[in-house]
Amino acid sequence: MLHLQIDPHSGVPVYRQLMDQITYYAASGALKSGDQLPSIRECARALSVNPTTIVKAYNELQHNGVIEMVQGKGAFVAQPPAAMSRREQGKALRPLARRLAVEAVQMGAPAEVVLGVVQEEMEKVGEGAAADNARVR
Amino acid sequence: MTEFAIDACQLGKAFPGGTVAVSGLDMQVAAGTVYGLIGRNGAGKTTAIRMLLGLLRPSAGTARILGANMWQAGRQHRARVAYVSQEQHVHAWMTPRELCYYLSHFYERWDQPYAMRLARRFDLAWDRQTGLMSGGEQRKVSILLALAARPEVLILDEPAAGLDPIARRELIDELVDILSRDGGCTVLLSTHIISDLERIAEQVGIMDRGRIMTDARLDELQKTFQRVQVVFDGRLPPDGFSVPGAIRSSTEGPVVTAVACLLSETQLDEVRSIPGARVNVFPLGLEDMFIELLKPRGEAEAVEART
Repeated sequence: MLHLQIDPHSGVPVYRQLMDQITYYAASGALKSGDQLPSIRECARALSVNPTTIVKAYNELQHNGVIEMVQGKGAFVAQPPAAMSRREQGKALRPLARRLAVEAVQMGAPAEVVLGVVQEEMEKVGEGAAADNARVR
Repeated sequence: MTEFAIDACQLGKAFPGGTVAVSGLDMQVAAGTVYGLIGRNGAGKTTAIRMLLGLLRPSAGTARILGANMWQAGRQHRARVAYVSQEQHVHAWMTPRELCYYLSHFYERWDQPYAMRLARRFDLAWDRQTGLMSGGEQRKVSILLALAARPEVLILDEPAAGLDPIARRELIDELVDILSRDGGCTVLLSTHIISDLERIAEQVGIMDRGRIMTDARLDELQKTFQRVQVVFDGRLPPDGFSVPGAIRSSTEGPVVTAVACLLSETQLDEVRSIPGARVNVFPLGLEDMFIELLKPRGEAEAVEART
């Protein structure tokens, strides 16, 4: 089973933590298209949490196109979406960008610093695939 | 839309002599969901539960489980509900085997193989008189009996009190298993072990002095209540400054720390736009949230409570 690090006591909803981790694994390639996720029941048991939190996470992940749930078979990592146009990508990322922009302006960080950090992180996520692959498999 | 599995409306209880234990209590629990009830000692949780179960007559309001008033309900209806009370009421001279045999006659859905599996899981001596068991073991017997009845509604009043961490986790895991099964179960869990609620509660009711002061989905509470820290760059906070939505607030030099009820992401934007003000927002665990909402106010505190 995937290594999922969930802390129910952190104040961050469990379904949110689950979503973020699975999304990360899918983005970094640790989970590949077509890989099967644990069943809702297996996940709930392994994490000792209410199965409805897993249901909520899986539903939202499906809504976001990260996974697909197939009736009678289970949940699978989705095929990568048809390439979004740049405009669509921009629109999807804007809310996150706004939060980043607010933080940066608060601390007086110039745009170059922000863009540099974002670029490094994007590279790391791509590199993370190899490391995660070793851990997960 | 079907009825609620547990439905209390303006429930109240005033005892002779004047003590008002419960007043204006509303609680609606949808079938198949887990409702966590928390509150300080003496808040009225057990009194409310006893009224729901028909063990105590309300002075006001109505309480129904699975559509019926338990005070009047017949035996068949009552067999759909199981209760683990704070005080052990297990017959001390009976062994788990005998208790199971006795109770199986009351509960139509009694699951004897499950009872035996639970006894093994909880490490209980099947043929030992419960009176000779430790407090924790007696508690486990009560839990075993309630679960083996395969109820549609399970009401647990401090089930984990006195249980070691492993036993507590076993109880959570059993509840997770029950919730995973088809048909599920409605669970009302009253507990001081708030960390358990963070694992399984979907809805949380915070009870204070006889009434429910806050009733919301757990994930909504987690998103709404946050710790906010505002650091003013090298100077004291402006006069009269307060964090929007703050329930508690304290100031130390240039730092204002507050527990706030944040209804939207942009609520703090006006603070962020103050020159030299740096805003940090941290998630708040349910236990900390509970403490901040319900601890007594000191004289130094300047902010009024928001309910």
